[in-house]
Amino acid sequence: MKEIAKLVVVLALICGISGFVLAYVKDLTAGPIEYAKIKNVKEPAVHSVLSGYDNDPIKDRVSFPVGNDKYGRPVSLVVFPAKKDGKTYAVAFEASGVGYKGPIGVMVGVDVNDNKLTGISVVSHSETPGLGARILESGFTEPFRGQDLSKDLTKDNIQALSGATLSTNGVVAAVNAARETLAKYRDKMVN
Amino acid sequence: MSFGDYMLFIVGAVLVNNILLAQFLGNCPFLGVSKRMDTATGMSMAVVFVITLAGACTWLVQYYVLIPFNIEYLQTIFFILVIASLVQLVEIIMQKTVPGLYRALGIYLPLITTNCAVLGVAIINIQKEFDFVQMLVFSFASAVGYGLALCLFAGIRERFALARIPKVFEGTALGLVTAGFMSLAFSGFAGLVGH
Amino acid sequence: MSLMKEFTKGFWELLPPFRLVLGLCPTLAVTTSAENGLGMGLATAFVLACSNMLISALRKIIPSKVRIAAFIVVVATFVVVVELTMQAYFYALYVKLGIFIPLIVVNCIPLGRAEAFASSNGVLASGADGLGIGLGFAISLFALGTIREIFGAGAFFGAHVMWSSYEPMGFLLKAPGAFVCLGLMLAAINTISARQAKRKLEAARLAAAQA
Repeated sequence: MKEIAKLVVVLALICGISGFVLAYVKDLTAGPIEYAKIKNVKEPAVHSVLSGYDNDPIKDRVSFPVGNDKYGRPVSLVVFPAKKDGKTYAVAFEASGVGYKGPIGVMVGVDVNDNKLTGISVVSHSETPGLGARILESGFTEPFRGQDLSKDLTKDNIQALSGATLSTNGVVAAVNAARETLAKYRDKMVN
Repeated sequence: MSFGDYMLFIVGAVLVNNILLAQFLGNCPFLGVSKRMDTATGMSMAVVFVITLAGACTWLVQYYVLIPFNIEYLQTIFFILVIASLVQLVEIIMQKTVPGLYRALGIYLPLITTNCAVLGVAIINIQKEFDFVQMLVFSFASAVGYGLALCLFAGIRERFALARIPKVFEGTALGLVTAGFMSLAFSGFAGLVGH
Repeated sequence: MSLMKEFTKGFWELLPPFRLVLGLCPTLAVTTSAENGLGMGLATAFVLACSNMLISALRKIIPSKVRIAAFIVVVATFVVVVELTMQAYFYALYVKLGIFIPLIVVNCIPLGRAEAFASSNGVLASGADGLGIGLGFAISLFALGTIREIFGAGAFFGAHVMWSSYEPMGFLLKAPGAFVCLGLMLAAINTISARQAKRKLEAARLAAAQA
């Protein structure tokens, strides 16, 4: 009996210490990890949808809670503002829509003065290579630039991809989701 | 997913993306226990059993423990502990209830804890965001693919006993080259699943 | 045994994965380029050195019945540390190595060394053993990655190195190429050690004849 107690105590101690150490390391690396993800995944997309700013949109990013995910954990939206002379004139943030094979994440840039798109860039997708994956090409994303976002975008506004209707719809849905997000959180984004 | 989708899914996991030959998971036991056909079949059956069971347990742990408590970064440590205790448990239960099966598979069970195919499949299940049924099908199909490759390979290796092999290639070296050609053959299945 | 000897045995006598046939999965999977091979090797070396030292320090406390479980927890802890650190500071490499970083836990080298060496030797000796074998593994992976990248893609660390008319052997970068390449390397190492053994035997015979 005494031996079993010893086994349990030693194992529990090792697990407990390991848990504490890892929680500490997790805390230490949380900031750098968030930065690394933004730097590697989002920065290129942000640069391609915004232009003409004199600040660093990555450094000036703001984030605020926008609800919970399906497990009840808070989700924040990260917004990258483009400023000129200290005044925000456009913002970029990620929105998503459902494509043919799953969610499509799109970085959307919007001019906050005239509600026109300054550009879009697909950051994550699982569409079919050669068909739906052509949503990555500039030939597809370029016509979005300058579209009016005061009303919902439809497929007629842009050049739909032949043979990839659902992928096209996914991107359009993402842009329209971005429109709703902007309408809802405009004050938090522009300040 | 429709029935047809599931069929494609299974063919993909067994043949096209064979975890052993295309994704390099579980190579140590692959080269270790493939010298004889009977050990290879024993190991294959033990692997199919454990991978499917471990896939289910780790999936439940991920969605009912790690995510609700917000400790997904401890995934690696939780999964390996779940797998290790599961293997131990299976060993004890099997010994008590089905001694015949235990005698056949028992010696392979401890080896399976460190077979990276088990942890690998468990992590892939989560990465690909499978639901419970997809996870079961994928785990089982991957494990069957593993067993298939292992048994075919053992069949080839048994012939080596009769062949004259250059001394420097004896054992693992020739095993690896052979596995390379098997992998080449399996890559021919890529055309089976559409684009 | 001196510390130096514990350290250097990992470079030839026990060079993984050739002499110590463990850790084949990452060896085959991530060595499509020299950079990936080196990154994976160094991550493993770090885990191995740290886990060896800690396990050696705890060897008197851990009851032998639960030692494997305890070893797994220690190794897995360091693996998670590596996972988080790589994600924070080497994000691109982290994405490329993917699933093979958590799989260091079941790589067999850390657990194998814990069982075979650290559980019965002192902290410093175990550290030297772990670091030596880990670095040996890193060198092997780097060498394999270099060969595959140079001949398979005509490049080294992403920079083009072969002459312009060189047709890269894409086969080497694919799964079958990994197996074949590792098999040939192992055969080459067997050749060298067979020759070494022969030379040693001759030297011994010569010495015996002289005496």
